[in-house]
Amino acid sequence: MKSGAEFNKSRRNFFKSIATALVVLPMLQACKQKAKQWVVKLTGTRHVLGHRLWSKDFPAPTAHLSVPIVIVGGGVTGLSAARQLHRKGHDDFLLLEMEDHVGGNASNGENTYTKYPLGAHYLPLPNREDHELIAFLKESKILKEEDQTGLLNFDETQIVFAPNERIYYRNAWHEGLIPKSELSANDEAQFAAFFQQMEYYRSQKTAGKYWFDIPLKNVIWVNENRALDQMTMREWMEKQWSSSKLFAYVDYCCRDDFGLGIDYVSAYAGIHYFAARKKNAQPEYEDGVLTWPEGNARLVRHFHSYVKDKTKVNHIVYEVKIKVGGVELWVFDAQKNQSLIIHAQKVIMTTPQFVNAYLFDSHKKYARSFHYAPWLLATLVVSELKDNETYPLCWDNVLYESDGLGYIYDQHQHLNQVSTPKVITYYHSFSSDNCKRDRRLLYQKPAEYWQQKVFNELKKAHPTIEQVTESMTIHRLGHGMISPKPGFITGQARRNAAQTMENRIYFAHTDLSGISIFEEAFHQGIDVVNQLLS
Amino acid sequence: MGKKFRFELLLLFAVFVIATCGLIYELVAGTLASYLLGDSVKQFSFIIGVYLFSMGVGSYFAKFIQKNLLKTFVEIEILVGLVGGLSSVVLYFLFENAASFQFVLYFLVFVTGCLVGLEIPLLMNILKDRVAFRDLVSNVFAFDYIGALLASILFPLFLMPHFGIMGTSLFFGMINVSIAIVLSFVLQNEVKRPRILQSKALISFTILAVSFLFSDRLLGLSEEKFYGENIIYTQATPYQRIVLTHQKSDYRLYLNNNLQFSSQDEYRYHEALVHPAMSMAPKIDHVLVLGGGDGLAVREVLKYRDVKSITLVDLDAGMTKLFQTNAILKGFNKNSLNHPKVTVLNQDAYIWSKANTKRFDVVIIDFPDPSNYSLGKLYALNFYQTLQKNLTENAVVVVQTTSPYFAPKSFWCIQKTIQHVFPQVDAYHAYVPSFGEWGFSIAINGFGTTFNTVYRTVQGLRFYTYQFDTMNQFPSDMMQKDVEINRLDNQILVRYFDEEWGRIQ
Repeated sequence: MKSGAEFNKSRRNFFKSIATALVVLPMLQACKQKAKQWVVKLTGTRHVLGHRLWSKDFPAPTAHLSVPIVIVGGGVTGLSAARQLHRKGHDDFLLLEMEDHVGGNASNGENTYTKYPLGAHYLPLPNREDHELIAFLKESKILKEEDQTGLLNFDETQIVFAPNERIYYRNAWHEGLIPKSELSANDEAQFAAFFQQMEYYRSQKTAGKYWFDIPLKNVIWVNENRALDQMTMREWMEKQWSSSKLFAYVDYCCRDDFGLGIDYVSAYAGIHYFAARKKNAQPEYEDGVLTWPEGNARLVRHFHSYVKDKTKVNHIVYEVKIKVGGVELWVFDAQKNQSLIIHAQKVIMTTPQFVNAYLFDSHKKYARSFHYAPWLLATLVVSELKDNETYPLCWDNVLYESDGLGYIYDQHQHLNQVSTPKVITYYHSFSSDNCKRDRRLLYQKPAEYWQQKVFNELKKAHPTIEQVTESMTIHRLGHGMISPKPGFITGQARRNAAQTMENRIYFAHTDLSGISIFEEAFHQGIDVVNQLLS
Repeated sequence: MGKKFRFELLLLFAVFVIATCGLIYELVAGTLASYLLGDSVKQFSFIIGVYLFSMGVGSYFAKFIQKNLLKTFVEIEILVGLVGGLSSVVLYFLFENAASFQFVLYFLVFVTGCLVGLEIPLLMNILKDRVAFRDLVSNVFAFDYIGALLASILFPLFLMPHFGIMGTSLFFGMINVSIAIVLSFVLQNEVKRPRILQSKALISFTILAVSFLFSDRLLGLSEEKFYGENIIYTQATPYQRIVLTHQKSDYRLYLNNNLQFSSQDEYRYHEALVHPAMSMAPKIDHVLVLGGGDGLAVREVLKYRDVKSITLVDLDAGMTKLFQTNAILKGFNKNSLNHPKVTVLNQDAYIWSKANTKRFDVVIIDFPDPSNYSLGKLYALNFYQTLQKNLTENAVVVVQTTSPYFAPKSFWCIQKTIQHVFPQVDAYHAYVPSFGEWGFSIAINGFGTTFNTVYRTVQGLRFYTYQFDTMNQFPSDMMQKDVEINRLDNQILVRYFDEEWGRIQ
């Protein structure tokens, strides 16, 4: 999942239920000699809870509460908003989260051996220009103070360790995500020219602003980059490239970052993956990324101090009403099984648009333009991970031209010498033009189906994977991340959906940016607070 | 006439085989004893003496066997094959417990000798009524001595090189028992209950054959070809494969096929590793040794009486336990790991160092070479930064840093990494014949001492002279300037190391 796979989207408040179900499989395997016991772990009632939003069959409110500012949703956007409120001296807020924990797409699981991600699992090094993010990384002790050279000084243990990534191509592992030793002269020339072109886009500016940048709000839109958002990445690539290996590589990058491949995402988004990161944080680290065994849940932990004692988990907002002098939130407390009304001066909605559609009549029509790619993660505990040892086990392990995105070695960032058993997390995105159908497939197919699919893909490189697997935990994300299909980033829908309502209700979410990454969520949270306070 | 002749010939052939086998077992025992215990003159002398003596004991007791002579003869043949054949296997397994090893060794030699000693008088008794006495004595002894000659020629020239020590003894056990099988079938009309005798012989043969087939895998003998030395001990721990070999007066320890030390010259390595740091450190109250589970560095540290505590952190409990219990290995480290000042912690050095709060005055780092990405972490910038929090001011840290001759990039890469962390850093090297030119990095955690300061010395060193400035000069073929700092995220050291040692191997 090199470069950007994060669906660091902020927490979709109510919808984690539909989006997320942690399912554990009873194992059936005829070929296996002994029946193995699968770890059983379930997220509880969230699924049911989310569905109740459709019918709104909640008990009548019996309690009242008054809070000046309410943040709805405890994903990265909501948490970042809380941090910004604190920085601006407003600690009189309350954060409501439907799940029993904050973190959203940057959550994690844990077993006896290690923590592991349940979604976004790394953060690329920040651009030098992103002062807000750099400040956050410094306060989180991920970045140390700059030394005399003025270069960013990262904590070595939080940057991905070597060896970083490998790809399985024709029965051998190769270093990196491109099987370099297998490239023809033509392939090589095309890769070189492609990266040169990405370098061109990376540096392009008009009136001092980048054509490709993070956050996207800083981008200057000119004819050139606007045109790129009107076609798919494949359409754009076919104009100048033909190497099948180059297409496979870029398709992998897009599926990894957006959940959809080059046939479905816009060329702007596809190029954004390469060109928006300026690689100017610290030349020594080049393609380094920040990562942790628990993935971006580590970043979430750094927000905890801002929301401590100000968070109500297990709370689902089911009505939002603008009244004279404020906003009324009707909230169901799933723990106590009772509803309450919260009176707020201002409300920050960090919920995704498919949730907002049930809360605001005006948002129903916008929601149709938002498409969300489903994801599936499988965390396997394996007694040993045998392969042909053509290149050692890496952090990111990719199988060439596979449906899946490969797997992460979850103990890679551990400092100790030897880890047994090993824990790996396999990522699968559903790249098609019909996210709804894939989502249905994701939920309808039984656990055994997905388990077998995971095994079948891993078997190519690890023939004994079924025999060595001790447990598999499958995590389903129905609405994994916003899909930047052609026209979406430059389109009106996300601007309309972001419109503030009567200076009372403010909206923030990565789906309003168009790309689901930690940085967008982080800036969405800051910007919405700045807007609210201005 | 024909039948009688065949009977006699068969029994004489049996004598021949027994004599050959008996001497083979003796040679195996002598060889094993000199491998495992050293001092081959003494070992062979003792073994031959005990063997001949016990043959005499066997011969004496032969007179008490009066009934079922033929059956007893075959049974003894089976027993000799079984005891002699399995003796080397038993001795290999028992080597770990060196105390009981010698007892079992001589016991087995004694039993084999007794059994072989029984055979000749017994045979002469069987044949005394069928062959003229004069012919009998001549023939029996002639075959006996021919067998001995054959064995003593075959053993060093053919058997040892091809079968190895264990294979040889098992193979001759099988020959021994197969003669018993032939006898038990050919003579089935002349003994009572031949079926029982036959099944005893067949079962014994099966045991030996199975041991023979699996001996390689069981005891890692296949590795002997790789080492070119006699393997006397192997152990697979969860972390590594420990192999101890012995050739002439030299013992060598290998970890995952990498030479860890040679008993001939390890003093050069360990004196160079330990004494510069121990002499230049302002204080030596608390000493930390990372890696070095063989206890040899600790042995050197213990020469300084002022040391109050030594903490040894080695991941592999199998390794430290071996060097705390095995008599031969304890001989190498002077029983240092059982010294009251020494605390042995079987933990991961990186994790331990992060959690540790005790401060140390001297740190000696003797990790395996950075041959893979796991080991590479223990040479990373962050590791040394973590370690620095475990140090007192002006503490001295020394690190074994591979060979500056074979792997100059690796060597100077570690040096550069350490330079990034500590205020004073130097490098030095020493010649260790079994390793080649070997190097070390040394650092002072402050400016309170210098590399040429000598606070204290100990007597009796064979290599280090307390003149540090004789070791820190590098000729140009050991220099390499153009290297990067080793960090967890680049692990450039593992790449250098692979490139440099890959070129040599």
